[in-house]
Amino acid sequence: MIKKTSTSQFEDEQALIKKLIAGDQAAFEYLVSQYHNIMLSVARAIVGEAFADEVVQEAWISSIKALPKFEGRSKLKTWLLHIVSNGAKSRVRRENRMVSLDEGWESIPADRFDSKGHRLDNVTPWEEATPEALLANDQLQVIIEETFQKLPALQRAALTMYDMEGFTMDEICNILDVSTSNVRVLLHRARTTLHHSIEKYQDNK
Amino acid sequence: MYQCKDITEEVNNYIEGGLPLGKRIGLFAHFLMCSCCRNYLQQIRSTISVITVSQPKEQDSTDLKVLAKQLHDMSDQHDH
Repeated sequence: MIKKTSTSQFEDEQALIKKLIAGDQAAFEYLVSQYHNIMLSVARAIVGEAFADEVVQEAWISSIKALPKFEGRSKLKTWLLHIVSNGAKSRVRRENRMVSLDEGWESIPADRFDSKGHRLDNVTPWEEATPEALLANDQLQVIIEETFQKLPALQRAALTMYDMEGFTMDEICNILDVSTSNVRVLLHRARTTLHHSIEKYQDNK
Repeated sequence: MYQCKDITEEVNNYIEGGLPLGKRIGLFAHFLMCSCCRNYLQQIRSTISVITVSQPKEQDSTDLKVLAKQLHDMSDQHDH
């Protein structure tokens, strides 16, 4: 496994692209370590688990061939995700496959509210409010990883792109081929599920 | 008048600013009155921060070093 480094000689995209075109092996390792996981996330969200690896493999090959023509009008990450997204969408059309937005969704249990919609439970502030303090315990990091893996692929992709990679709503809509309101629904569901897991961990401490 | 249940359904849209003004004001008024929902809002904000910091990843068994080498070799052949 190649370690992802945040400080790197390749953080300047133009320099990275030049080195890739020049055939620098380390540049290829950096490229793959930075973007393979999120490309896989997008492919799984659009085409599902069964075809995702193949779609990403094909997207990598197309990207490397097209790299000399990359004009830098978007970020390299966005460009790569559009390539994988287009490949996945073609595959969906060929396989006639639909991924459901409601797959794996359980809302907050209705028994938490009375008939008028008031909360029956008492919500108290978390003891450790900062993420650094919360994540100081390795157990919580494991819980988050496990909960994340169990989320439906579309929710994982929306969460990764919005909360972790800083894509805009419009970019996510274009790449995942869903409406803004659907991205909001996916984010809400993913965050709510992760909140449940952290809440359970807090209650059981 | 908005209730706690409405807060749990709209909390992320409230955070992202994706609500019409009237609804936003209605939810804000509920937050002023309800400490449980204020705490819930704070917990959701903390959840987002935790996600951002912890950066969970897709499960993947791909050998990235091998993939990088394949792409490198392919680009080499493509050039010549």
